[in-house]
Amino acid sequence: MISPEQIKKHYIDYVLTNGEAPKSVYNFAKSLKISESDFYKIYSSFSMIEKKVWEDLTLQTLIKIKEQEVWAQYSSREKMLSFFYSYIEVLKTQRSFIIYTLKNHTKRLATPDVLSEVKPLFENFAEDIINEGIDSGELTERKFISKHYKDALWIQFAFIINFWIDDDSAAFEKTDEAIERGINVSFDLFKKSPLDNLFEYGKFLSRNSKFREKMGI
Amino acid sequence: MKTQESMPTTKVARSAKFIETGFRIGGNYVKHFSKKLFNPDLSRDELNEDNAEDIYNSLSELKGSALKIAQMLSMDKNVLPKAYVSRFTQSQYNAPPLSGPLIIKTFTKSFGKSPEKIFDTFNLNSIRAASIGQVHVATLNRKKLAIKIQYPGVADSISSDLKLVKPFAFRLLGMNEKELNIYIKEVEERLLEETDYELEVRRSIEFSKACSKLKNVVFPVYYPELSSAKIITMDWVEGMHLKEFLATNPSQKLKNKIGQALWDFYNFQQHELKAVHADPHPGNFLITPDEKLAVIDFGCIKELPENFYQPFFSLILPGFMNNKAKTIKAFRELDMIHDDDNEKQIEFYHKSYKEMISLFALPYRSKTFDFSKPEFFENLYAWGDKIAKMPEFKQPRGVKHFIYVNRTNFGLYMLLNELNATVKTDTFQSKID
Repeated sequence: MISPEQIKKHYIDYVLTNGEAPKSVYNFAKSLKISESDFYKIYSSFSMIEKKVWEDLTLQTLIKIKEQEVWAQYSSREKMLSFFYSYIEVLKTQRSFIIYTLKNHTKRLATPDVLSEVKPLFENFAEDIINEGIDSGELTERKFISKHYKDALWIQFAFIINFWIDDDSAAFEKTDEAIERGINVSFDLFKKSPLDNLFEYGKFLSRNSKFREKMGI
Repeated sequence: MKTQESMPTTKVARSAKFIETGFRIGGNYVKHFSKKLFNPDLSRDELNEDNAEDIYNSLSELKGSALKIAQMLSMDKNVLPKAYVSRFTQSQYNAPPLSGPLIIKTFTKSFGKSPEKIFDTFNLNSIRAASIGQVHVATLNRKKLAIKIQYPGVADSISSDLKLVKPFAFRLLGMNEKELNIYIKEVEERLLEETDYELEVRRSIEFSKACSKLKNVVFPVYYPELSSAKIITMDWVEGMHLKEFLATNPSQKLKNKIGQALWDFYNFQQHELKAVHADPHPGNFLITPDEKLAVIDFGCIKELPENFYQPFFSLILPGFMNNKAKTIKAFRELDMIHDDDNEKQIEFYHKSYKEMISLFALPYRSKTFDFSKPEFFENLYAWGDKIAKMPEFKQPRGVKHFIYVNRTNFGLYMLLNELNATVKTDTFQSKID
């Protein structure tokens, strides 16, 4: 019996050698010397294999970063940075295939179908980290807004992956800078800022009717 | 210390930073002149203070080469008004550090291992910034180590930084940008060398060996096998920075001892090695508990070619400048007098430069020199102020080597002044054929 892992490996090899997906599942199964139904028992389509590749790489990263000794000492911001630095390292092992899976995706703003399994994984991770940050006071909770923090991080995710795909600097040094900068900007926006104070001050003034009368508002 | 929250790295972001500074400086001028309408006696000090603060803030956020430029400007205290100086001097110590995960990534890239797997302990919080990098403390086999890690993308951004800083810095200095390209190139070369940590380790080992016989000067041990293009590992040196040292009220004898070590260190290099540690800012030195001067940074080395060394140091030989023909010849070799200068100009520059060099070489005129004397520095500043206003000195003169040699010697004088030290100035003589 062939394992899902073997099929995946074979598929990646096929795509990278031929520069395209196999013509049909029948064809592909034949080259693996298995029956078509054996294939369908494991994967429903080629695109499912591609999704699985992404999912595996993401899970691998999430496990790897949490194994680090320093993980527990990291702030939320550092945890997110650590995720992206490791993620890029892990993705590097399959760079050609990764680029292939995203090549057909032209609408850069929408989530590519191949990432449909990765998105919930990442969002769960992001949400955990954001909640940790809110609990520890590192990040600030804002009505209606804080639940969208993870969406902002997902946009960062897409941006960083796209940046990395186009990055031609030695050792992808520019991607490192993009991560450091982008994640820091996001987390700066998530933490308490002068704007929060300004907003609170405005609320205080509007509640204070005597002041409003004096000002003639 | 607050961790750096945003590091503008692309050229666009950096430009934006400079433009922002430009606007603020513009604003400072508006503020100054509107105040001046009501108070005509208002001096420019406040304006300079405001400007310096904005420039400093913007430069320290930019890090890397821009920070280096801030340091460089701060060395030339004679050109810059006092307010600029005190703000810029801060840049020599404080710059916010980079995130822990990025440090781990840098290690993994260099050695394939995270720092905690290489060292017995490694502190992820940096202990201080080092202009194009930051310093961490680690231990290995019970030895305390200092690990210098370079910010990513520094080398990459130097050229673009210099282009940006150029018009801006020279407006500050009131000079024309076009003619300065040759100097800018010299600065760029040195700055790029500084980003090559492998070169720095090699040089550090070479220089500490060559200088090992100097009295009261010590160097950390460097570990090439634990160093890479982005990381330098060396022994941790216990000691105080100059300011901290002075705050302990050291005796005059001790101050003289440290001052002498500094003097010997620089003059030995200039005259024996003909290559000099060209970054004499206080952050590069420590005074150890056993009262020695520790040199902890060899990032910037300026080599002195013979065709510069010979004419330059012959000028400070006693009596040399009494010979006008020889002096003018030396000035020509150093490009301080140009070939197309007319008689009147030759007279003028000869007189001015002779005056400047007599002033500058004063410490060499006697066997010992007391650097605590304010008159000496006041004269230097006054001379700097005077030439800053002269149209003849609007355009720079002199070969490119002057930038770093002047910076080095002036930096040395400043350090000795801060120490209030009296030193023997005849310990290493120039080697003129």
